[in-house]
Amino acid sequence: MADALAIQPDVRFLKRVLASGGGDLKKCYQCATCSVACELAPEESPFPRKQMMEAQWGLKAQLLCDPAIWLCHNCGKCTERCPRGARPGDVLGAVRREAIRHFAFPGWMGALVADPKWLPLLFLLPALIFAAVAFWAPKPVPAPPFEFGSVFPASVLEPLFFAISGFALLAFAVGVVRFARGIGETPSAGFGAALKDIAAHQSFKQCDDASMRLAHQLTMWGFAGLAMVGTATGIGTMAGVLRTPLALESPLKIFANLAAAASLAGVTLLLARRVGRPASTYFDWFFLAALSGVVFTGIAAELLRLAEARAMYGVYFVHLVLIFGLLLYAPYSKFAHLAYRTVAMARSRKFNARS
Amino acid sequence: MAGKLGVYICTGCGIGEAVDGEKLAKVATSECKAASCRTHPALCGAEGCAQIRQDLAGGAVDTVVVAACSPRFKTEAFSLNHGTVVERVNLREHVAWCHAPQDENTQMLAEDYLRMGVARARKTEPLEPLADEISRALLVIGGGVTGITAALEAAAAGYSVFLVEKEENLGGAAARCKRQTPAEPPYTAVNGDGLTARMEAVLYHPRIQVFCSARVVRIEGQPGMFDVTLSIEAGEHQIRAGAIVVATGWKPYDVSRLVHLGYGVSPDVISNLEFERMAAAGRIARPSNGQRAESILFVQCAGSRDPDHLPYCSSICCMETLKQITYIREQDPEAQVYVVYKDVRTPGQYERFYRAVQDQALNFFTKGEVTAVKPGAGGRLTVAVEHTLLGESIQLETDLVVLATGMVPNGSEQILNLTYRQGPELPVISGGFPDSHFVCFPYETRRTGIYAAGAARAPMDAAQARQDAMGAALKAIQCVELAAQGRAVHPRGGDLSYPSFFLQRCTQCKRCTEECPFGALDEDAKGTPKPNPYRCRRCGVCLGACPERIVSFKNYSVDMIASMIKAIEVPEEDEDKPRVLALVCENDAYPAMDLAGLKRRRYDPSVRVVPLRCLGSLNIVWIADALSRGLDGVILVGCKYGDDYQCHFTKGSELAQRRLENVKETLQRLQLESERLQLTQLAINEWEQLPQVFDAFVERIRKLGPNPYKGF
Repeated sequence: MADALAIQPDVRFLKRVLASGGGDLKKCYQCATCSVACELAPEESPFPRKQMMEAQWGLKAQLLCDPAIWLCHNCGKCTERCPRGARPGDVLGAVRREAIRHFAFPGWMGALVADPKWLPLLFLLPALIFAAVAFWAPKPVPAPPFEFGSVFPASVLEPLFFAISGFALLAFAVGVVRFARGIGETPSAGFGAALKDIAAHQSFKQCDDASMRLAHQLTMWGFAGLAMVGTATGIGTMAGVLRTPLALESPLKIFANLAAAASLAGVTLLLARRVGRPASTYFDWFFLAALSGVVFTGIAAELLRLAEARAMYGVYFVHLVLIFGLLLYAPYSKFAHLAYRTVAMARSRKFNARS
Repeated sequence: MAGKLGVYICTGCGIGEAVDGEKLAKVATSECKAASCRTHPALCGAEGCAQIRQDLAGGAVDTVVVAACSPRFKTEAFSLNHGTVVERVNLREHVAWCHAPQDENTQMLAEDYLRMGVARARKTEPLEPLADEISRALLVIGGGVTGITAALEAAAAGYSVFLVEKEENLGGAAARCKRQTPAEPPYTAVNGDGLTARMEAVLYHPRIQVFCSARVVRIEGQPGMFDVTLSIEAGEHQIRAGAIVVATGWKPYDVSRLVHLGYGVSPDVISNLEFERMAAAGRIARPSNGQRAESILFVQCAGSRDPDHLPYCSSICCMETLKQITYIREQDPEAQVYVVYKDVRTPGQYERFYRAVQDQALNFFTKGEVTAVKPGAGGRLTVAVEHTLLGESIQLETDLVVLATGMVPNGSEQILNLTYRQGPELPVISGGFPDSHFVCFPYETRRTGIYAAGAARAPMDAAQARQDAMGAALKAIQCVELAAQGRAVHPRGGDLSYPSFFLQRCTQCKRCTEECPFGALDEDAKGTPKPNPYRCRRCGVCLGACPERIVSFKNYSVDMIASMIKAIEVPEEDEDKPRVLALVCENDAYPAMDLAGLKRRRYDPSVRVVPLRCLGSLNIVWIADALSRGLDGVILVGCKYGDDYQCHFTKGSELAQRRLENVKETLQRLQLESERLQLTQLAINEWEQLPQVFDAFVERIRKLGPNPYKGF
């Protein structure tokens, strides 16, 4: 009895999981069909059977620090095979949401992003900011027509976005440290192996439903490309070496447009997948909508600019609001999986053994 | 006995191709002195049957031997009125279909079977059925769900019923529950009682007489004429019933024996029955202080499926716990409920109820084993659970522990007060349930005419008990109807024969009265058996037990089997044709042989089969007869015995084995190898092994060499 674990269900946690996509959780009767169905579940510590039990019992501490919840790609096969309709895949999604919220820094931001009732506020903030920029920021003189900089001067936008990104990075760092502490003394020598896996989307191949792989890979690399171009352009502009808009034939612009095209293809595929899924939650949609919104408005703004239509400013405004949201709320939305999942993979035995 | 014997040989179904019908006819006429012998290519057809009837009607024949297929087939075609003796010789399944055609040994086998059949026919007398005045009223003991249902069903079928309940009111255990487990679609919510209407129906039914606050003081007599003395408020009351349904229900397992699960450690550890009473009375609270129980833990299989307690599953505790959780939810949506189970057993539609309860947020289920319940901090209880689905040993703090205990039958303690020589109550098997072959014959007990139903028979819930009650009521009705015709009940349903005792030669050894599996025989003061033929199931165990051979049926006797054995032709020693007598049980082994025949499995043609009603009817004189006649060995094939016995008469093959041990000693004195005797237990589904059993035994006999008594 000495080593027996004292169990105390966290009722609030349990109710939140039930309310946010894990509503069928209690139906699980522990047959472990899910763990057998999952191609990613490691032999020595298969999931999600155990996680289902822990979730049923509201064992928040065990679950949130369990790297296994991040190894899942949410292909939905376990949900499809579950003889009782307990939807383990969706339960893991809900648990991940709780993890993001739990490790969030500052904590109230986590609660804000997770709750649909704060949605208007979340976007009202950047809307006001960019409206203020448009109205009051000092404009270049003379203001060239059909350039975004004439309404939204780069001299204001660039420092603003670097500040937002810096804050997001800090929030990510705190969250990840909290998570890593929670996992405990597991070695994280698998970092290199995990990154290699992520870069090539190796693990996605293991899933029976590999349709996610291309969509996710296009989106990930597309956004990585856009982030790089954005950062480079930002630094270049502030250093006075670059001036936007870049010429269409400039290598940086070509790279940017390619990345945008990849993102467009990626998010379109992701949207197509998501639309058919009955158990999609606010949390799922929040991230995907922001992501695709950024891509769509970005491309539309560029096209309108080239067409020299005045609507370009309006679309660009929306684009800026969405980017703001995507970046600032990244550590509290589904976007955060890029950090937690990487850490979880690095800490998992599979990638440790590989390194 | 038979004067004019008619032998009818069928040559259809391959018999004619395998054996020489003409030679058989010759055996019948010249050797057996049959008055008439006919062969027919399809005897069971209209023409063949008409011929038999015509011969009987014309007076040319008064005793019939039909040498054709197994007596288990074409029973309709060859059944004549019970005043005529008809014997069947199995030339199809036991000869033509399992031995080499046109072979000398096959022919010898067929001829032997014919001789044996004729011998049997000659020793058979026409049956004279019992004809006493029979009461068709039923007595139902116990006024719970089972008893009420049995009474209503029997009354609806037109039978008068006496219903006896020891409590003041009807309803039994179910009436004391707050609610009932789901019994109708969609099976997701508890039921109201559903009992009140039926209790009233019983009370006002013109054919049902209810005695509450009543007990059975004494039951005398036999099926069709049970004289029952009741103790009622007004004093003693006498009734007569034809058959009895025992619906005495159950009592909870003694929870005070579950100290290891915390019973007695704290007033907050209670049994599921105590919980039910508490819920029925009003508010669920901690008995220790009357406060709200924030967290309640149910221990499933408490004292069940446990070799130290009840070894069986009571099948109701899972559903009861689920039901009781709904009481908690009704009162307190925020209470936490834990269920620690070995397995959740909610078969069939009950799974829906399990799902419904499991789906509620604050009900926590885990497989596991509760290893300790101890007082914990703040007056709470600490429960240690091992081997949980959470992958480790866990500890839970809780306010109330409910032990889900199982059912103990109320069937065998001072209920019936039978005045039987073998004791006042129903004999029980392990677990205390009355039984006489529960696999095949539910409701049957080892007391003919007394049928157990509901939780007194086997652990079950109310829904199952209602079905059980109908089954038992039907069996009771069958019993009185068959008794009225002088016929036996199950498993020799319809048999008109019954044993008679030539008491002048009785030595009062009491073997028959002790060994009768159904307590049919009472005794007088000196120990002379007093038969109660309506209690008898015609197995012949008494016939086998009697050393004086004074028990016989008109169509089954020691002399008859002995004559059949003597009818077997024993070849000379130098012919190298051993002869083995196989005494096989009619219930399983004989059909198994038919199956072997049907599947054309071959075995040694040295075996001569004599069917017995039950191996328990084995009289050891037959073995002496066989060996002194020069037969080389005797094999007995009967049902499995032991805890999961398959004997239709509960312990026939076991008795035969015991008698065989005694004979083996005698054999050694006669310098005969005891290996010449063998008893094989065989279930009907093991029919495929039968040819091998016979072949191996004959092989062993060949190795032992011929019986030295051959030719004496």
